[in-house]
Amino acid sequence: MEVSCLELALEGERLCKVGDYRAGVSFFEAAIQVGTEDLQVLSAIYSQLGNAYFHLHDYAKALEFHRHDLTLTRTIGDLLGEAKASGNLGNTLKVLGRFDEAVVCCQRHLDIARDINDKVGQARALYNFGNVYHAKGKSICWSGAEPGDFPEEVMMALRKAAEYYEANLAIVKELGDRAAQGRTYGNLGNTHYLLGNFRKAVSSHEQRLLIAKEFGDRSAERRAYCNLGNAYIFLGEFEVAAEHYKKTLQLARQLKDRAVEAQACYSLGNTYTLLQDYERAIDYHLKHLIIAQDLNDRIGEGRACWSLGNAHTALGNHDQAMHFAEKHLEICKETGDRSGELTARM
Amino acid sequence: ESKSSAVASSQIFHSDGGEMEPETMEIKSVSEYFTKMHIGSVMSRQ
Repeated sequence: MEVSCLELALEGERLCKVGDYRAGVSFFEAAIQVGTEDLQVLSAIYSQLGNAYFHLHDYAKALEFHRHDLTLTRTIGDLLGEAKASGNLGNTLKVLGRFDEAVVCCQRHLDIARDINDKVGQARALYNFGNVYHAKGKSICWSGAEPGDFPEEVMMALRKAAEYYEANLAIVKELGDRAAQGRTYGNLGNTHYLLGNFRKAVSSHEQRLLIAKEFGDRSAERRAYCNLGNAYIFLGEFEVAAEHYKKTLQLARQLKDRAVEAQACYSLGNTYTLLQDYERAIDYHLKHLIIAQDLNDRIGEGRACWSLGNAHTALGNHDQAMHFAEKHLEICKETGDRSGELTARM
Repeated sequence: ESKSSAVASSQIFHSDGGEMEPETMEIKSVSEYFTKMHIGSVMSRQ
């Protein structure tokens, strides 16, 4: 019995909805092979294929299908479809670091949404715009500088990101869309953090946390606690930062996310180092070390050894300090980490 | 960018500049399209 393009596409859609993108891709590609004369169906297949590849982190393929969708929607004069294709293409170009092209797509998405008076579309385009400028700012200059102390080009991109997030918030508040507000507050908080506006960052992340709790979204809650911890560190409020990192750790354990659990232990170890409570710092760095070893994360293991060496030095435990310094050196040699190796030898 | 295990104390907390929220992708659903088409054809028959 022959299976129709529509049946294959519906099965692909069902699989993607449950998160099985790999299987979904197979069905959508089979649907294209069979073919359809209904161009709206073809547009939906291209779009969902693009999204499936996006979730699978195959951005070259995602780009290909979102481009097909854009060409098709333009050809048939489907404005709403073109807006959606532009939005998806913009997100994909952003991930690929092609920010100038991404901006063009976001603008098209926004222009169409305004023309057809689509408030939801406008809000989504503004959120995507914010994300593009945020990513652009981070991509220009990252290593070595402190938040709030980046070159003007970076600060300009980050300020633009904040403006777009604020414009988005004005609309999603009007629409009463709490989920969208939560996402925007989270990214606005990160933008203020990089701009060095740590009080504003805290205020945004507090809003994000509140909304995450409303939805029972523990992943978002965990992200908010971690981001709040980072902001409090830069405000010099180390005790408050530690409390937030502890909440992060608790949620990471509940969510069974070992990599995040390791990161939370590392942050707590560093925070207790700043508080000069070296015993507690050692306790958390050891927890980090054990997880890094379990996950076979040699960089993480090296960092834990480096931190443990420092904490033991502060306590005058010279044998222990030497043991971890040697272990750090050994890992640096193995991973080809030249700057770590030089520091370890000092 | 290669990561070093020896990180300056001022940089250990913001290696990624904060955890971002997920992107929002636009959805075009085949099933929703057909539901709308079906409703449209029923309405036009009335």
